[in-house]
Amino acid sequence: MELEQLMEEYNRKLDEIIHLNKNNTFKNLPFRKSRQTTNSLLFYRITEVAFWGLVVVFMGSFVAFHLKEIHLAVSGLIIELFALIALTGSIGQIVLIRQIDYSKPVVEIRKKIESVNAHGLLFIKLLMISLPVWWVYAIVGLYLLFGIDIYPYLNPKFVTVYLTMNGVLVIPLIWFLNKLSYENLHIKWVQKTINGLTSPRTRKALHFLKEIEVFEK
Amino acid sequence: MARYTNISTTRKEKFIEILDSHKRMIYKVVNSYCVNQEDRKDLEQEIIIQLWKSFDNYNPDFSYSTWIYRIALNVAISFFRKQKSWRSRFDPFPEETLFNIQDEEKFNSERDDKLILLQQLIQQLDELSKALMLLYLDGKRHDEIAEILGISKTNVATKISRLKVKLSKSFENE
Repeated sequence: MELEQLMEEYNRKLDEIIHLNKNNTFKNLPFRKSRQTTNSLLFYRITEVAFWGLVVVFMGSFVAFHLKEIHLAVSGLIIELFALIALTGSIGQIVLIRQIDYSKPVVEIRKKIESVNAHGLLFIKLLMISLPVWWVYAIVGLYLLFGIDIYPYLNPKFVTVYLTMNGVLVIPLIWFLNKLSYENLHIKWVQKTINGLTSPRTRKALHFLKEIEVFEK
Repeated sequence: MARYTNISTTRKEKFIEILDSHKRMIYKVVNSYCVNQEDRKDLEQEIIIQLWKSFDNYNPDFSYSTWIYRIALNVAISFFRKQKSWRSRFDPFPEETLFNIQDEEKFNSERDDKLILLQQLIQQLDELSKALMLLYLDGKRHDEIAEILGISKTNVATKISRLKVKLSKSFENE
């Protein structure tokens, strides 16, 4: 085959003419800069874990202190659940970053790196799943910031209808959010939604994860 | 203290020796993922830094070429994806880089047209197919390619035959 012969000749020529500047190999190599890039990403994720960890602890104690006021306890529990998901996601990111070892197979490492880069999608999903239960933030926020408990002022009929509607909405929303992943990027509406909602970095990573999936097939 | 210095010097010497005997691989990876001279210098440096960092943990179950290819390709793909602008041109390595090409002008002028076309076609491939083609054209066996990339041997064979057809068609069209 001509291709192989062509490359064989090229390889032979390269072997003859490329020389390593042995004296310069270690001179002026930016070791520090290279280390800083990885460390800053890790530091960023550790900060995220610390933040979500604090939210989990704080909301845990909020729920414990308001067990008798069901509406406050339930609202606190919902926020606690979201914080736990975010915390788990951020811990997973640290594990992934620690596992990135360039001496491992290319596809395995690419998947890990792109999963780290696609982390933003988790927060988009959390934000969207928070929409039907936005009231929990209002109830807990007003109580914590101004000491106002708005629940007793709400019309019980309105609360029942609203909660039922929210409950019905949660199931299709979970289905919708579950669809929002790189595995479904071949579906047009998923692609459009991801392209419209995520940052360029997250989008690029998700599309590359899809490319890897196709490459592996 | 002197003993530690000797160990460190020996390690560096060993590393440079390995680098020297595999310089062609690094050159080709850098050349395929970078078209810009300044970027090439950065990529070349980053690959050597990562190789050096990983040197202590080198797993002797794999050959040096597998180890170097994995690191060079992983770094190159990361580097490629970080870059925002790329210029399309073939530049020889600048003198201040770690690799020098003797009689650079002569080497470039003597390059076969088909080789230039082949390099251009490889550069147009996506990141993973580019890695696969580089390994194949470097004479790696299918099982070695599978080991470096982390895909099955059957997959390697299928992809290579598809890429060869694609390259042949591009050659015919040019």
